[in-house]
Amino acid sequence: MDESGRKLSETVWTRLDRKAGAIIELTVRQLRHRVSTWVVLGVGILLMALLLVFYVDAVRESFDPIDNDGDSFDSDGDGYPLGQERKYGTPDWDPDLYPGASEYIKESDIDYNDEARTFSGNRSWDGWAFFEAKWLDYEFSGQWWEGHIDWTPDSEGLPTLTDCSDWSLDRIQNRIGWGDACDLGDGDGDGLVTYYVAGLWKGEGEATVPIDYYLEWGVWTEPTFIEPDPPEMYINEDGIDCFDSQGERVDCPAADRLSGRHGFDDDGDCTSTDYLLDDANGNGYACDVVWQSTNGVVTSISADEYVDEDPDEQEYIGELSHRTFIIAVGKMAFVILLGLFIPLFLALGLVRDETENGTLHLLLSKPIHRAEFIVYRLMGYLAISGTYVITLSLLVGVISSFLGPGEQFFRLSDLPVWLGIGVATMLVLAAYGAMFNTMGLISPKYGVYGCIIFGIWEFIMGSFSIVSPNWSVASVSISHWALQMIDAIVLMAWPDTIQWAEMDRAFEIDSGLSVFWQPPVHTFGTQSAGIALLTSIVVLASVTAAMILIGKSVFARREIM
Amino acid sequence: MSADGQGPPAVIIDQVSKWYGQVIGINDLSLAIDGGVTGILGPNGAGKSTLFKLMMGRLKPSQGSVRLFGVDPWSSTSPYRRVGYVSESEKLYEWMTALDFVTTLARLHGMTRDEASQRSAHVLDFVGLADVMHKELGKYSKGMRQRVKIAHALVHDPDLIVMDEPLHGCDPIARTSIMNVIRELGKQGKTVLVSSHILEEIERITEQIVILHSGRLLAIGNLHAIRDLLDKHPHRILIKCEDPRALASAFISEGPVFGVRFPREGELEIQTNNLSAAHSLLPSIVVDSKQRITSIENPDDNLDSLLNYLIKEAN
Repeated sequence: MDESGRKLSETVWTRLDRKAGAIIELTVRQLRHRVSTWVVLGVGILLMALLLVFYVDAVRESFDPIDNDGDSFDSDGDGYPLGQERKYGTPDWDPDLYPGASEYIKESDIDYNDEARTFSGNRSWDGWAFFEAKWLDYEFSGQWWEGHIDWTPDSEGLPTLTDCSDWSLDRIQNRIGWGDACDLGDGDGDGLVTYYVAGLWKGEGEATVPIDYYLEWGVWTEPTFIEPDPPEMYINEDGIDCFDSQGERVDCPAADRLSGRHGFDDDGDCTSTDYLLDDANGNGYACDVVWQSTNGVVTSISADEYVDEDPDEQEYIGELSHRTFIIAVGKMAFVILLGLFIPLFLALGLVRDETENGTLHLLLSKPIHRAEFIVYRLMGYLAISGTYVITLSLLVGVISSFLGPGEQFFRLSDLPVWLGIGVATMLVLAAYGAMFNTMGLISPKYGVYGCIIFGIWEFIMGSFSIVSPNWSVASVSISHWALQMIDAIVLMAWPDTIQWAEMDRAFEIDSGLSVFWQPPVHTFGTQSAGIALLTSIVVLASVTAAMILIGKSVFARREIM
Repeated sequence: MSADGQGPPAVIIDQVSKWYGQVIGINDLSLAIDGGVTGILGPNGAGKSTLFKLMMGRLKPSQGSVRLFGVDPWSSTSPYRRVGYVSESEKLYEWMTALDFVTTLARLHGMTRDEASQRSAHVLDFVGLADVMHKELGKYSKGMRQRVKIAHALVHDPDLIVMDEPLHGCDPIARTSIMNVIRELGKQGKTVLVSSHILEEIERITEQIVILHSGRLLAIGNLHAIRDLLDKHPHRILIKCEDPRALASAFISEGPVFGVRFPREGELEIQTNNLSAAHSLLPSIVVDSKQRITSIENPDDNLDSLLNYLIKEAN
């Protein structure tokens, strides 16, 4: 009676537990006795330490303000920054044209078919004419290629020009080219010299335009001095503006009116210039920003050009960079680097090495199925590597949560994301571990090369999955699904990440958040992060199970010499 | 009939062949073994290890069937609950202590940690390693390592123990100790299979033997019966002594001895066709001669000559 009672309590399950426990413990102890284990895990810790140093150095430091729209530069060298030139409508490629500079205004012209071909006055002239000059502005000159006439006077105060008083009209027109003039003398004896002029000049007199030739004239405005703005004025000069329903300016996002038209062109470079008609977001209004939200979360921001385009990074970059750091470290350092290298060193030989060392005989003479053996070995490997990545992620998480920006002393809301990164990495370790172990079983000799080729594929597909998660080819990789897990976890822990990524993109803050994070893809059209997370977990678990099954069927048929 | 008188016998090998590509490991072998210590004798390459690996489910028979307690060991692990296996592999987990090693492997039978540890200490004591069981295996001598392997095979109190060359590479003290262990197991009523290529080793352990040669069963039965056959065959006894010629004259007058030779200085070779009779004469003649004898060898009393004889008989 006692005997059968004991047997009843000692069910199959408790025996399984004990066997599993023994193999897991053995595996953990074996891995602990290998140098390569400590090297790989040590390198991982070193990598994280370096990244944290980088974080303190680059992310935590204050920033030099960034001129996002580049309008603090003075590319034509006239002393006025681009922003100021835009406001006054002067070009940034002509040093002679700048705010307050003297400006030519056309008055009228005589073209080839006008009847009247004479005009008198004190003007700036541009074209061809016989000019009986009362006064000439010898100083009005410029570059030769612009056609300015060189009036350089001689010792008597008269221009040194070719004498063409006895030339025929044809000869004059053939010989005197653009930018040149000749002296016809005082033909009518009124004391005024007549010149034939082809080009630009300034003076008072009577201009007679030959048939089929053209002349226009106008006046130059008086130059006014406009104080050049300091370039710093055009950095962070156009912040992000939001308005409530009464049109009052409020902090973004405006809680009572997330969706709708916002934005204000603080620096006037959109509203005051030719860009007036700019409506890049196509909502029918120029120079505004359209914010859209769903369920109280901003999901898209679409700005016209030159509106809110140069916000003060300091206000936003702290939070943006902090999140970018977490997501980038989670994806690149944890999932891709640790996720690939730990199993390559720890999982490849889990069963294969036992065969090669000749210690497999010891284990297989015990009542353990070979499939059980593979599963327990993998569990032992995961006990070490999984504990390692979760501990490491939480450790890095706690340190960066103390260092991170924000009002609070400790960013508690970061920890779920770090835990999620650890769990995603652990699932990747399980999938890669099962796969590498299977490869080691299929080909003890060449399996490692298969693993390396596969690792390269995973690395490339992982990189693609970060920048363009929608590309369906990338989903034929294990890393893709773990990266999706991180995207989903980030969205669940910080629902406003979409808004931050949109702000990063729309206002060109360039923190990298919109590069490293994009909303999860595999939501089956629901946009739900939870569904994306669940899908990714199911995919990763299925890959792991499939790999174990393949490994089991290979191993179960293998004869062991 | 199994050792405890119930259930199927421990080992049944039924018309089993195993070949590796073109090479034949086991050739149409049939055997049934149950109870007591059985020596599996054969030169290197006779198929001893292949036979054991077939029994332990490491290899799949190319033909025929293998049953341990009525169950196919290739497709089921259940017979291993009742089987202990000492493999020919020398590799152990060098960084473990002996107690640790045996305990870890004992837990694979589903024992709790305490149970396993108690059982392990017990079997390590049984094989004579009680005082060194807290030392790392890396520091163990070859004989100690063999005994650790035996301990791990005994830890779950199996009914069948399969030992592949357990005396291989052991020093005389370890050898004696292991032989005692095997004899003790036999006395406890276990079925023990011990392979060896040295006749003298097996002779000291058991009388029940199986002789394999080139994958075939050459002989099965009682060693002494087989031996007696061999004794009828001309045999040599080599004696090293001070004065071989004086000793020779004492032998030459006796019945079983039909010739003497002096192969080297200080050596006497006696030729006989009844080895046991010659051996029973030996002590009295030696005592009478009052000579100092440095060694007595039976150059023909080894597996090779036994095999040669059996092969000749078979043909």
